[in-house]
Amino acid sequence: MVERKETQLKPVELIPLWRDGRVIGVLAQIIFVILFFLAARWLLNNVATNIFSLGASQFICRDGSSNVRCAFDFMSTDAGFPISESVVPYVEQDSFWRAVGVAALNTIKVSFYGIILTTILGTFTGIARLSNNWLVNSLAKWYIDLMRNTPLLLQLFFIYFVVILALPQVNSAIQLFNLPIFVSQRGINFPDLVFMSSFPVWLAFVVLAIIQAQVLWFLLGRYEEQTGYASNRGRWVILSFLLIVGIGWYVAGANSQNEAILISQRANVRAYRDLPALIERRLAVNTMSDIPDRLRVGLLSQEAVNTAALKICAIQDSPSEVNFTAQLRQSGIPYQVVRRTARPEQALDVYAQGECEVFVASRTILAAERDLLEDSATHRIVGIRETPLRFSLPRLEGFNFVGGTKLTAEFTALLIGLVLFTAAFVAEIVRAGIMAVPKGQSEAARALGLSEGQRLRLVVMPQALRVIIPPMISQYLNLTKNSSLGLAVAFPDLYRIIQTAINQSGRAVQLIVIMAAIYLLFSLVISVILNWYNRQIALVER
Amino acid sequence: MTVTSAQDIIICHDVHKWYGDFHALKGFSLTVKSGEVIVIIGPSGSGKSTFIRTLNRLEEHQQGEIIIDGILLSHDVRNIAEIRREVGMVFQQFNLFPHLTVLENVTLAPIHVRKWSRERAEEIAMKWLNRVGIPEQANKYPGQLSGGQQQRVAIARTLAMEPKILLFDEPTSALDPEMIKEVLDVMRDLAKAGYTILAVTHEMGFAREVADRVIFMASGEIVEQNTPQNFFANPNEERTRQFLSQILHH
Repeated sequence: MVERKETQLKPVELIPLWRDGRVIGVLAQIIFVILFFLAARWLLNNVATNIFSLGASQFICRDGSSNVRCAFDFMSTDAGFPISESVVPYVEQDSFWRAVGVAALNTIKVSFYGIILTTILGTFTGIARLSNNWLVNSLAKWYIDLMRNTPLLLQLFFIYFVVILALPQVNSAIQLFNLPIFVSQRGINFPDLVFMSSFPVWLAFVVLAIIQAQVLWFLLGRYEEQTGYASNRGRWVILSFLLIVGIGWYVAGANSQNEAILISQRANVRAYRDLPALIERRLAVNTMSDIPDRLRVGLLSQEAVNTAALKICAIQDSPSEVNFTAQLRQSGIPYQVVRRTARPEQALDVYAQGECEVFVASRTILAAERDLLEDSATHRIVGIRETPLRFSLPRLEGFNFVGGTKLTAEFTALLIGLVLFTAAFVAEIVRAGIMAVPKGQSEAARALGLSEGQRLRLVVMPQALRVIIPPMISQYLNLTKNSSLGLAVAFPDLYRIIQTAINQSGRAVQLIVIMAAIYLLFSLVISVILNWYNRQIALVER
Repeated sequence: MTVTSAQDIIICHDVHKWYGDFHALKGFSLTVKSGEVIVIIGPSGSGKSTFIRTLNRLEEHQQGEIIIDGILLSHDVRNIAEIRREVGMVFQQFNLFPHLTVLENVTLAPIHVRKWSRERAEEIAMKWLNRVGIPEQANKYPGQLSGGQQQRVAIARTLAMEPKILLFDEPTSALDPEMIKEVLDVMRDLAKAGYTILAVTHEMGFAREVADRVIFMASGEIVEQNTPQNFFANPNEERTRQFLSQILHH
């Protein structure tokens, strides 16, 4: 029997209020709330006083009266300033709302690509930093130190003014690796995919082909199991897949009636195949293939060919132009795109004035436009074949590139600057994350025979991510907010356009509120997505 | 137990290992026959763990020769990969992958190293989880299991790769006393099944019962090797006697 010691409980003591944890807690919160409201009131008061001192001009309604409720009405009026690049069409006559929207999209664009590239570069640098290879390790270390210890603004100035503006001018752009990629002062031009109207039909065929391949793979597998006969199923599956995709390509293109050209009846062109005759007549050659031959031996001058070339007008950035001119090049028909206009009716004007002989667009546009012509009966709409997907290649025409797509110098400078700078921080986060994974995990992976790549991908990285994600969120937010330094390289991001809009409209308070709201929205979206992801990869503990 | 083959599956000849100036293995030579069960004991810092970790290249030896199942353990990464497929290891700290379920832990290497289909890997994983007695935990995460259960999963994970040689590096040292038995039971079972086993352990009962040979190491050298009966009853070396008296009468 254990001897039990009697313990004497102390009588309940009355705790003085200033030492009672519960009271302290409540009191601290009350004081905080009071301070918060005082600060908020002071700020709002300031704003109100300033706005009212600016006068009633700040709140002009559409009907001309003045009312506080109309504070944001000016946003619907013409912005009146150009924006050098935008993802969606924009002209000076568009509203302030649209201008701000365009700017926000630019910020989203640079942040989106920035975040993706930063993640890739940062991860690799972080891993390189842990490498046993002295050279790899030191290079990563030097890069990180250089980036972290110089201001981003300086880096942006350097990249824009020293690196990019030192590149050759457009007409002597550098072609990379003999590919249709051109680098110049104005940015990078490279090929673009153009989706024609029949693309979805072809896509349906591709999906069908994938399903078919799965079924065939399964059935042949069963056949092999039952008969023990090797049917070489990989070959059959690939063959049938390509067959269906190929048939789809042809069927989708042939059945589409979407592409067409508008041409005068005098030209006597009823179908695409009649076009060569038109040029052959002008140059007095028998077939198109004679043209290069005669050019070579000097029977024909380049000037004559240029004069005889098919004169085309088109709507800017239209897939119709890409589709049509690609076929012309294939058939060897010389052509010249005389004008590209923003709107169909402008192109029609050019056509009506006889500046071009062919107006290329979709059949619906052409049908509507033809009715506007006085002599509409004398113009014919001729169908043009299309393929579901086309490449548009950049070509130098005059002092600019047409076709393909382009990263402007400003966008490129800002993107490179943001990525190089932020990736240095991301690399350190990745390194810390990897180092936080116990050594035993790598040993177990090695002992099981996993390769070094598999060890990193399957064992270390998934665990490192738990440590990496939370600080990564702040780096992504940093990158998004730092994109406002695009101001320095004249990239029309949200901050720059808001500045311009403030100068243009004089409504500083409203525009800054809008800007703050948009940046807040971006930050919240990024945080919500990453926090969700963080929860997905959280470890399950007891 | 019977030795099924007289083939020498592990041959170590004059293996040296230094950590900087510290000489951790001083000319270690050992030959193990296929199916043999060897228990390695010795004071801490004597190089027991270092030795068995050189066998699957978790530690690199700087001198001497190690041949495992006819493959020379060298800097050739293909040889290392082949040896690691033949040699399984169970760690003191289990080292289960905490982000994967028990089943995923066991199927990871078979799928990615042996390139088995998921179905086949899962079938074999369940077979081994049954063998170690925890099939019902297959879809839990390691963090939800007790230490003994975790170590049994680690053993199943090692066995799923169908190795010929099993290395145990103090498999029961991190366990609560009541869980040691469940792990030792599994190890006994494996010893009887004919695996070649090298175990670093302080479980003298296990050594007495299943070992074919007990090796006593001190300061990077083999001091004595003997059958368990002789080893515990009348050791040859004074150093061994000293060690045994310390661990057996505390």
